[in-house]
Parts: sequence; structure tokens; C-alpha cells
Amino acid sequence: MNPHPAIPSMHRRVRQVRSRAAVRAWEYRQRHLAKGVWFRLRRLLAEASSAWEIPEAACSRLMTEGFCPEAVGEELEPRKTLLFVPETRLSGIPDRRLLPLRLGPELLAARHIALVRFPRLDSLRRSASCASEVSCGVHDRPTRRGSPAGQGL
Amino acid sequence: MLFRERLLGTLRLVRPLFDIPGVLVVGSEVPNLLEPGAAATLVVSQDVDIGVPVDIHGRVKDVLSGIAGLRPARDEPSVWLPEPPGLLEVNFLGIDPSLRDAGESRVLDDPVLPLMVFGPLSLLRPGPRLVLEGMAVPVPALSGLLVEKLVTERSGMKGDRDLLVAMGLLLVARDHDMEETAVLFRSLPAELRHAVRSNLTLLSLMQPVRGMPDPTPHRRLIADLLRTLEEHGEKGEGA
Repeated sequence: MNPHPAIPSMHRRVRQVRSRAAVRAWEYRQRHLAKGVWFRLRRLLAEASSAWEIPEAACSRLMTEGFCPEAVGEELEPRKTLLFVPETRLSGIPDRRLLPLRLGPELLAARHIALVRFPRLDSLRRSASCASEVSCGVHDRPTRRGSPAGQGL
Repeated sequence: MLFRERLLGTLRLVRPLFDIPGVLVVGSEVPNLLEPGAAATLVVSQDVDIGVPVDIHGRVKDVLSGIAGLRPARDEPSVWLPEPPGLLEVNFLGIDPSLRDAGESRVLDDPVLPLMVFGPLSLLRPGPRLVLEGMAVPVPALSGLLVEKLVTERSGMKGDRDLLVAMGLLLVARDHDMEETAVLFRSLPAELRHAVRSNLTLLSLMQPVRGMPDPTPHRRLIADLLRTLEEHGEKGEGA
């Protein structure tokens, strides 16, 4: 039996899928190096319900209080200071500015960023309206260890 | 014709295939079917994907030849077009349990029904059949489909749509689905576990796409899944 005449195009698509898989494998091997910084930054942002640009002085004050900068900020050039801060503490910073939570120009241009962490859901069961669920009491506190979510990423 | 009617009409057309053990409805329509009453409000897609295990490929061809009103597309032989107006295209995909990674994808060459065999489809396992208007529709367990969507390496808009299909699955998932997802995640090679986490971060930061689930109000759900998966073995393994 002769092969279908459209088979070459299917083989071409398979080659494209394989080449993307090869790129992914390379990126995986590079994950602890500079190539992995975007994943680490996205991972951090995925943990945040909101992101705020804050004045440098306010950022310094937060660090004096013990809030520890996330390591990934040090990997960027120019460096950024990214801190997880409780919403209640953040509300005391008058000149804060809400940033869109995506790797867009506003977030990338900001140098001092406060993040508010999502509270953990109390079970794996989530609902479509999870934003209305009650916080289960995970809070960010001043720490010298930084964010658990930020470690080892 | 409402989208739900188009979808169910298409499934009725290919219903004889569902009598073959192993055939599965896969892909972007599954979240629509898993909604209560198969409401089909989550994902706008113009085709129905049918997963065909390679060892029953011959049987599927036999049954397909007896289905009136369905013919192969000239330029895309794994896509079959319905003759009744308003129905969706049917896209056949090969499942080979011996494959795992996208790097192992291949073509099953055949003059009648050639198939693209994508490695990640081997993550699919049959789930409970959905009974829709008297029709038992074989669908995969949600966990395998979710992980498949999160490891499949695609680019551009197609890749975004796959991630938003994963979002749709998350919205209809139940406790046991998420527990199975965590177990399946743990069984993956480190590179694929990393791919799952990386794609979830992309999903979390993705902008809304028309006709697809909006991830923005559900970012907390994604954050919680990431934490859960990381507790299931990612941390401490350097991945």
C-alpha cells in the first residue's frame, strides 16, 4: 500500500514537536543558570495575589524590619528588590502603585516590588470562586530566611 | 446551532467508535463535557480530538469505514470532516503507551488513517464514561489529561490554548482528581515535572483569551496546585 500523500507534512510537524522538546531539554539543563531566571521569577509571581511598586525608602524600611529580599531579584540586571509583605503592612505604604501581574514593561521596569502572597487553600478542593474562600492563616512575617516558595527555585 | 449541540451532534456521529475499548475523546472538548450537563461553556474549539491506541488502529479504521457522513480531509488525513452542517471536525491522534516524552512523537503511516502519535498522550488513562443524552462517552481520567496538557511542548497561540484547556480542567476537577494529579506528577521524570511547574507559572501570568477560561480570577488555584506538586517531590531533588 502506498503512504498517504499528506504524510510528509505530518512528518514535518513531528520534527517540529521533537525540536521543541529538544529545546525544552536544553532549557531544563540550564535551569540553575541564567536561562532559568525567568522561570524563577514567574514562580515567585505565581505565588503572589498582587504586586506593588514601592518607593526605595519604604523598601529599605521593610528590610530593616526583617523582610528578606527574594534571591531572584539579585539575578536580574538591573537588580530588583522583591519582598513578600502582608497586605496589612503594605496598606501603610502610601505611595505604593499596583503593578499588572505579568512579565510586562511595568513590572520589569519597577526596581522595588512588594508582593502579597496567596493564602493557602485549606484543601486540594478548589472552586471556581476560590477568591471568595476564607484565608487559612498563612501570613508573611519578617524573616531572615526569605520566602519558602522562593528557595531552591 | 448552539456550540453544545454541535459538540454532542459530532459525538453522536462518531458514536460507533466508542464501542471499541481504548478509544477516548481527548483534548480541548473534555472540560466542556465534564461541566455539569456537558454545558460546553468553557472552551471554544472547532474540533473534537479522538485518541486511538495504536494497537487498535485497525479496528478503528474498520468501524470508521462504516460511519456515513464522515470523510477524511484531503490535506490533513488524520482530520475527518462531517457532512451534516454545523458539526465539528474530528481529529484522530495516536496513543502509544510505550512513548512518554514529546521527543518521542512519531507518525503512524497509513494510507487510510495516518496518525500523529504524541508521546505525552501516553499519560492518558480511561476515566469513568460520561453519559450524555443516553450516550456513553469515553473520556480520560482528568489527572492524565491535565498533566498531558501541562507537559506537551507547543508554541505560540496553540501552546496558550493548551494551557487554558488545563485551566478549564482545573475548574471542573474534584479532590480525587487533584490527588491523582499529584501522584502522576511524582511519577514523571524530573524534566517533565519541571515542565509542568513552568507551564503552570505561565498559565498564572497569562492574559485572558477570548473564548477560553480566564485564568486571572483563578490564580490562587494555580498557586495552590504548584505548592501541592512541589510538596510531592519537587523540592530537594534539584529540579
